[in-house]
Amino acid sequence: MSVPTQRKLLAKPARTADKIFFAVAKAAGYSSFVIIGLILFFLSIRAWPAFERQNILEFAFGTGWDNTLDPAVFNIGPMLWGSLLIAAIGVVIAVPMAISIAYFIEFLAPKPIAKTATVIVDLLAAIPSVVLGLWGLGVFTPVGAHWAQMLGDALGGFIPFLSNDTGTYLRSPFIASIVVAVMIVPLISSVTREIFSQVDKEIIKGALALGGTRESVLRRVILPTSAGGILGGVLLALGRAMGETVAIFFVLNLVFDEYNWFNLLEPQGGAIASLILARFGEATPEEVEALLAAGVVLFVITLIINAIASYIVQKAQPWRRD
Amino acid sequence: MQAVERPKNAQPWTNLGPKVKLSSAITIIAPSVIYLAILLTTGMDFMAGLFTIFLPLQLLCGAWAGYYSYGKRGITDGLLLVVTFFLSLFVFVLLASVLWSVIESGFQALSPHFIYQNNVYVSGKTGLEIGGVGHAILGTALTVGISTLVTVPLGIATAVYLTETRDFGRGTVRTLLQAMSALPSVVSGLFIYSMLILSGWSGYSGLMGSLALIPLMLPTVSRVAEESLRLVPKDLRNGALALGAPSYRAFFMVTLPAAQSGIVTAVLLGIARVIGETAPILLTMTIANGTNLNPLQGGMATLPGYIFNYILLGDPTSIARAWGAALVLLIFVGILFAAARVASAPKKAKKRSAK
Repeated sequence: MSVPTQRKLLAKPARTADKIFFAVAKAAGYSSFVIIGLILFFLSIRAWPAFERQNILEFAFGTGWDNTLDPAVFNIGPMLWGSLLIAAIGVVIAVPMAISIAYFIEFLAPKPIAKTATVIVDLLAAIPSVVLGLWGLGVFTPVGAHWAQMLGDALGGFIPFLSNDTGTYLRSPFIASIVVAVMIVPLISSVTREIFSQVDKEIIKGALALGGTRESVLRRVILPTSAGGILGGVLLALGRAMGETVAIFFVLNLVFDEYNWFNLLEPQGGAIASLILARFGEATPEEVEALLAAGVVLFVITLIINAIASYIVQKAQPWRRD
Repeated sequence: MQAVERPKNAQPWTNLGPKVKLSSAITIIAPSVIYLAILLTTGMDFMAGLFTIFLPLQLLCGAWAGYYSYGKRGITDGLLLVVTFFLSLFVFVLLASVLWSVIESGFQALSPHFIYQNNVYVSGKTGLEIGGVGHAILGTALTVGISTLVTVPLGIATAVYLTETRDFGRGTVRTLLQAMSALPSVVSGLFIYSMLILSGWSGYSGLMGSLALIPLMLPTVSRVAEESLRLVPKDLRNGALALGAPSYRAFFMVTLPAAQSGIVTAVLLGIARVIGETAPILLTMTIANGTNLNPLQGGMATLPGYIFNYILLGDPTSIARAWGAALVLLIFVGILFAAARVASAPKKAKKRSAK
């Protein structure tokens, strides 16, 4: 009697159909690499002449954007700084609100109210940016300018950020930041809510049993365990805010010639994405190359921010890994 | 053994004492009343007063209520509650302002012919009695439909890659997808413009617009689909495999049906994500006034593009048209969201007749 030879055990798919199935899945998985690669490749080769004509550092940090001069000047310094400034202020405004809402939904509200609030926040996330732009232009700009004027009158003398000598408070980075903040609050709060919901309830109960109060539990237990995830969500929102196009285009006055370093209430600012939208329609071929170069800069910055952010978020959500 | 009687109130901590109730009521009512009185008598600005009078007053009251009910330890609790409620309400007020302004201004432009007519004979100053968004609705349906047709299989296959395979690149792909979810929409438009239009492979057309929407839609679809596939118990799949099914049949006949509602949600959320995208549309399509159902040629209007164009025209009637189109767009988004919630709602377990 002979023992049959042992069958080789394989973890790899053996049948042709299975091979096709996994090959298709793998191809689809790698398609995101391909898309990112294609974006980078095509934008870069089309934008190359613009980088070549000017020093790349000058392009990124110089001032001025004029296609009537000879040679034409295309520099995005003020736009780059404006994008960062608006995104940063927007995040600063949005973070406390977003964390409050997440805390309210997760730990304070009774279940039916929490559910309704979740739906409302999700709905806020779904409002298209062009509608928010229309709201910003038609409804919020007068209100925001009024707030800005009160701020400027009351505090402008002491705080250099809030001084404004131009006489108008419309179309300022302040207003753009608030519109951006409205846009990113739901993003931050949904990430934060998910992290909060995974905080171990036993630890919270233990802290309460040891005599902790709501505030000390939040400060000593909830926030430290979820800090990484919240940071990731905030960075994700920062990337979204930097790429915001249409809404900012409607509520901000783009000024190409000089940096507006920190005068939040003055009607001059910049945003790369809005620059692209504003100039694209009547652009000369040379200008299109410069706009594509601006797109490359925007893309690289947001990609780096987002990659770091999603890495942090994933580190903070170990239950997502298998 | 004597049975232990269950206490009448199973959650004794929900039974708040009179002290707590009284102080909470005062905290809720008093600052608002005082602030309202100041507002009415001095006529000061609402927003300035909100931050200089109401908020400090409310904080003071909250701290007092905490101290009165729980002693020193309650002070910070009271402050925390006040701050949380204040900021949350602030966001809800902002959202209500957005929704209300769209509904209020949108209804002025809305009429039956606004839904089905196109804009061929309409300029910025034309009255609202003719012209509408019919062509834009069709254009939106076409462009978003085409990108859905491409993205959904791709997104689901990506989700399969992330959940079913054990490939080493999964972590990177997941990170990349999340990073892509915040891809600036204008960059996506520039990408299609530089790749296809600038190269002369195609003119401005509806197809280009729908291609530009794909990178924006893919992360949402694959992420939600991945979540729903992950929720399917591993035992189901392993059972199918143990019965001798090949992996692909195990997926199509066991995992996919089990995750069906989640996949539908993924598709709907993906559509809701891109239906309002404006920047990629503006860079890859020309916004037409007439109805055009050919995605390969000619200009085509979409709802976001329509809104953008009419805001730029700037006349009161064109702004009114933009509000009307914004309302139509929001209604579509709302329908998609409601459908997604219905699809993802847990189904009531069917009662088994015999067990």
